[in-house]
Amino acid sequence: MSTIDIELHSVSKKFGANRIVKNVNLAIPKGKFVSILGPSGCGKTTTLNMIAGFESPTSGEIRIRGTDQTGIPPEARKIGLVFQNYALFPHMTVAENVGFGLKMQGRSREEVAAGAKRALKSVRLEGFENRYPKELSGGQQQRVAVARAIAPSPSVLLLDEPLSNLDLKLREAMRVELKEIQQDLGMTFVYVTHDQEEAMAMSDRIIVMQGGAVAQEGAPADIYGRPRTSFVADFIGKSNILPISAVADAKTGNGSWRVLLGTAGMPIMAARMPGLVPDKARFCCIRPEAVRLADAAGALDEPANLLTGTIQKVVNLGAYLEAWLLVDGEITLKSMIRSSRLDKLAVGHRVELAIAHAAVQLLEE
Amino acid sequence: MAVIAFSTLQSPARRVLSVKTFLPLLAPSIVLTLFFAVPMGMMIGISFQSLDGGAPTLASYSRFVKDGLVLAGLGRTVVMSGLVAVCVTVLAYPLAYYLARSTSRWRTVVLALAIAPELAGVVLRTYGWLIILDDRGFINSALMWVGVIFEPLPLSKNLFGVVVGLTHVILPFGVLSLLTSLQGISPNLERSAQILGASRLAVIRHIVLPLSVPGIISSLLVGFTMAASAYATPALLGGAGFKVMATMVYEQVLFYLDWPFAAVMANVLLILMVGVAFIGSRLESRLNQKLHL
Repeated sequence: MSTIDIELHSVSKKFGANRIVKNVNLAIPKGKFVSILGPSGCGKTTTLNMIAGFESPTSGEIRIRGTDQTGIPPEARKIGLVFQNYALFPHMTVAENVGFGLKMQGRSREEVAAGAKRALKSVRLEGFENRYPKELSGGQQQRVAVARAIAPSPSVLLLDEPLSNLDLKLREAMRVELKEIQQDLGMTFVYVTHDQEEAMAMSDRIIVMQGGAVAQEGAPADIYGRPRTSFVADFIGKSNILPISAVADAKTGNGSWRVLLGTAGMPIMAARMPGLVPDKARFCCIRPEAVRLADAAGALDEPANLLTGTIQKVVNLGAYLEAWLLVDGEITLKSMIRSSRLDKLAVGHRVELAIAHAAVQLLEE
Repeated sequence: MAVIAFSTLQSPARRVLSVKTFLPLLAPSIVLTLFFAVPMGMMIGISFQSLDGGAPTLASYSRFVKDGLVLAGLGRTVVMSGLVAVCVTVLAYPLAYYLARSTSRWRTVVLALAIAPELAGVVLRTYGWLIILDDRGFINSALMWVGVIFEPLPLSKNLFGVVVGLTHVILPFGVLSLLTSLQGISPNLERSAQILGASRLAVIRHIVLPLSVPGIISSLLVGFTMAASAYATPALLGGAGFKVMATMVYEQVLFYLDWPFAAVMANVLLILMVGVAFIGSRLESRLNQKLHL
């Protein structure tokens, strides 16, 4: 049995002269929660529509469970799809909505009813069988949409920004629930979103798309901790993206690289990036939480750069302080520091900073 | 949709009604009263007049319910209007569906072509059909010339000819009433059904048709009332052999000079149409409620 559910081989899509999707290669493993993440217009929804069969690729090949899907219409692909606006059938009850897929498969009335009941149970919406969609809240409609998509037991479920119509509290609760549903069913979920937090919270793998192409693919921690380009570093989480002027192999023994920051060329040690040609790096990324006060507990446990910074601005976010520090006269670093250190952070003060070598990431572009 | 838009426009501050609010309605009110309400009242009055100028009487009404020829005409009107309503709706549906869903550049062209017949007058279009359907018209001449038939087929001066002509005249109205309804159905509903395994035909049957029933009803209503009140097309394509209420009213007024009886017939026709429209719109609003809850 194949462990890859969906494969895209050099898939491109043009609308007129516009290339919306450019030479995308993907392998989506069976039973995993995979997010396609990117800003609007990055080609993620078009990619989803091609997997569903609503659009056909201009070139390239899509395989589902090993079979080439060229010429196969959506109704024969045996996949589920949840729309952003739910798209529930308004003239059918919840049970009729959820049972629709099974009915289309030609199942008996009893099988349809039993299947609908089972699917509603897995989204924790029992007892709503005879309601109409308009009688339900947004969150409940969302669950019905998920139940309807999973009732015919497709091997893959595609979700197109399914939480973006819900309010923040409900969205956060549904994140957890969707992940639990996915794990209970062991189904492959392909989740399209522009919300990086959502993708980070739920996914086993994240595919970041930019301008129709895959910018980076990997586990959430990987994408966050080791962004390859300044686009990924900037799109996922907060980051300091700083220009660098030169990279030199430091040969310090611990495998760090020596780079010169900014036009003044302040030397700093950066993490060695396997597969990156040092000469090609133009930027480096430092996450705000990696800019620490040198006297903080554990700040010097690993090899770290020691810098002196002047505090320019402090914003209190409750649990954390966001501080802007001027380093070496020309570089502004944003940092996240625990609120208990507020006393040290008066504007104009000079503070000693520690940034671990491993936290300075070189970026390809 | 229109109802929602209207209710949001009505802010509480605007509830205070002043003379100014009604001022723009003055002109249309006068026109409608003079040319619609007054003649309608007169029609009702005339229907009770006796021909010899005596006291108001129900004589014309009792003559109506006893006159076999007139009742046959009423039956003919109902059958004809029903057939036209069905033909218009069946033919308009695929066209309206195409117009509601198409994103092609031909959409505008098709829409223009669908509406274009309205630009030519009814009489003109009806004469066009006469040229095609007449005993010595295009179809009969061509078939006789080829030798398929030796006697002309009865294509005009009967129910068939009138239904064909009226269907053509009323079709654009059917398209427009269905279009509004079909455009209100989100394409994502069809996509959802499709990805759940429904074929094109199953999508139409389970999703599009049930959700467009209000549009179908309004198309049937438009078709029925327009056909029942049509005069020119039945007069020209039906001729002396196919009389409906509208042509019979005309005869009473112009040839027999029996205005009270003509008024009775017109009133019966009016009651028929108001009744059909009432039942239809009640059904439509109840379905709308059920479909959108």
